[in-house]
Amino acid sequence: MTAVIEAEGLSKHYRTVDAVDDVSFSIEENTITGLLGRNGAGKTTLMQLLTGQEFATRGTIRVFGESPVENAGVLQRLSFIKESQKYPDDFKPKHVFATAPWFFPNWDAEFAARLIDDFRLPLNRRIKKLSRGQLSAVGVIVGLAGRAPITFFDEPYLGLDAVARQIFYDRLLEDYAEHPRTVVLSTHLIDEVANLLEHVIVIDQGRILLDDDAESLRGSATTVVGTRAAVDSFVGGREVLHRDSLGGLASVTVGRLDPAERREAAELGLELGPVSLQQLVVQKTGATTSGIEQSA
Amino acid sequence: MTTTDTSPRTAPTAEPAGSGSRIVPIARLHVVNRMQVLLVPAMILLFILLVNIVVWWLIVRSVTDPVDRADALDGLQWSGASFYVFVYAVVLGAQAVGFVFPYALGMSVTRRDFWLGSALAFVGLAALYGAFMTLFAVIEQATGGWGLGGRMFTVLYFGGEDATWYQRFGLFFAAFLFCFFVGAVVSTIYQRWRVNGMLVFFAALTLLLLGTAALITLTESWPAVGSWFAATGAGGVVAWSLVITALSAVVGFLLIRRSTPRG
Repeated sequence: MTAVIEAEGLSKHYRTVDAVDDVSFSIEENTITGLLGRNGAGKTTLMQLLTGQEFATRGTIRVFGESPVENAGVLQRLSFIKESQKYPDDFKPKHVFATAPWFFPNWDAEFAARLIDDFRLPLNRRIKKLSRGQLSAVGVIVGLAGRAPITFFDEPYLGLDAVARQIFYDRLLEDYAEHPRTVVLSTHLIDEVANLLEHVIVIDQGRILLDDDAESLRGSATTVVGTRAAVDSFVGGREVLHRDSLGGLASVTVGRLDPAERREAAELGLELGPVSLQQLVVQKTGATTSGIEQSA
Repeated sequence: MTTTDTSPRTAPTAEPAGSGSRIVPIARLHVVNRMQVLLVPAMILLFILLVNIVVWWLIVRSVTDPVDRADALDGLQWSGASFYVFVYAVVLGAQAVGFVFPYALGMSVTRRDFWLGSALAFVGLAALYGAFMTLFAVIEQATGGWGLGGRMFTVLYFGGEDATWYQRFGLFFAAFLFCFFVGAVVSTIYQRWRVNGMLVFFAALTLLLLGTAALITLTESWPAVGSWFAATGAGGVVAWSLVITALSAVVGFLLIRRSTPRG
């Protein structure tokens, strides 16, 4: 495996906020990485830096081994689909799909046509008059059909209904299987995409909180439920990620448990449950559940 | 990763994936909406011409005294009826940066390629618009002002009655080029510094114009300014406009290189 994206000591400071603060990480070729975090965590700024749209205050970025800033050779192999993408005045979706192939050499027109059908996107309506969901669909189609070797999706699902979001996830996975490429997906609908992700980067207040394989993250925490006394005696000196109590019952999230520990818990009459990626991120970012949108 | 791919991977490099320069595709981006770039301005221009022809016809019909009529038609050499097309070109130039720049970056192009491609589009459109205006000027000249002694394309600022077609084309071309680049560079200032940039720019421009006017008035040199324009002639003034056009192109390039479109 080779890293196609590498960031080292990367910072972007605005006048009043450190949007990205001394961040280092790398992303492997042909993986799907989730960039997770709360609103304003720095996800968009980070993607803008990686795609050469924003200029770093400090640090280095290597995409395909080179700086992406004003580098045509690198940029030609990137696609950045962002929620806030602007389109020329009076453009219609048909204009987007007519012009995008000029810039994405791997463009698959048939695939694009199929996606247009899937999302029931009107081609001849002005972009200004599209609904939020239809506008998102335009971006999603450009990102998928463009088949750029590295594709960034920055919260691409805004306004898409549950069916359309599922179509996006399904098509992404299908096409990814046939045409492996590197995908970076920023989202806060974590539960919905949890099964897609192979790697997870959690960012909060411009800093990286978590950078790990999705697989190892899934088993990295366990919820222990039972009477308060039993739970307390089992948890003992372990690090507690999260605790809920209700009357005489307690629910505590702890780290990974080995088989012996699991037996011990069973003997104490405790119930063990997995912790979803979303719960894990919620707990790691120290937020109440309301900080992260519940998936619809 | 769950794949069982064991083939040796070559290190990924930054080799472009096939296609070469993106300057021409970017130029095409500006004209992809033919309606906006070609049809709408042509239609409005023809409508203005039509309205003017009706007005000229009314003048010819209602002013019966030949001296008065000649006097009225003589005033038409100052007609500003075609002024709107040049304003349209300024707006297109501004939109090229305001709307197409964020889209072009979304299509993963460099700022450098965007500016070069846009400049190419401006040159092409200026030539096209210039040719259109020249054609109408030649017709106007050949038909004695659409049969009514009217003037809309052979006005004084663009060579007057007796200019050759290539003189006319040169003047129109340079004027359109000026409008596109000035519109674009002002829009670039907005991309770079947003509202604050606009405020500072227009404040500075106002002060500059006011200062120039004050200087000319206080030194009582308005007659000298008038005679400079008369001596330089339309061709000379347009040649001077090329200096500003070139300056706009260079300044716009330097500014856009450091700009980030914001949503």
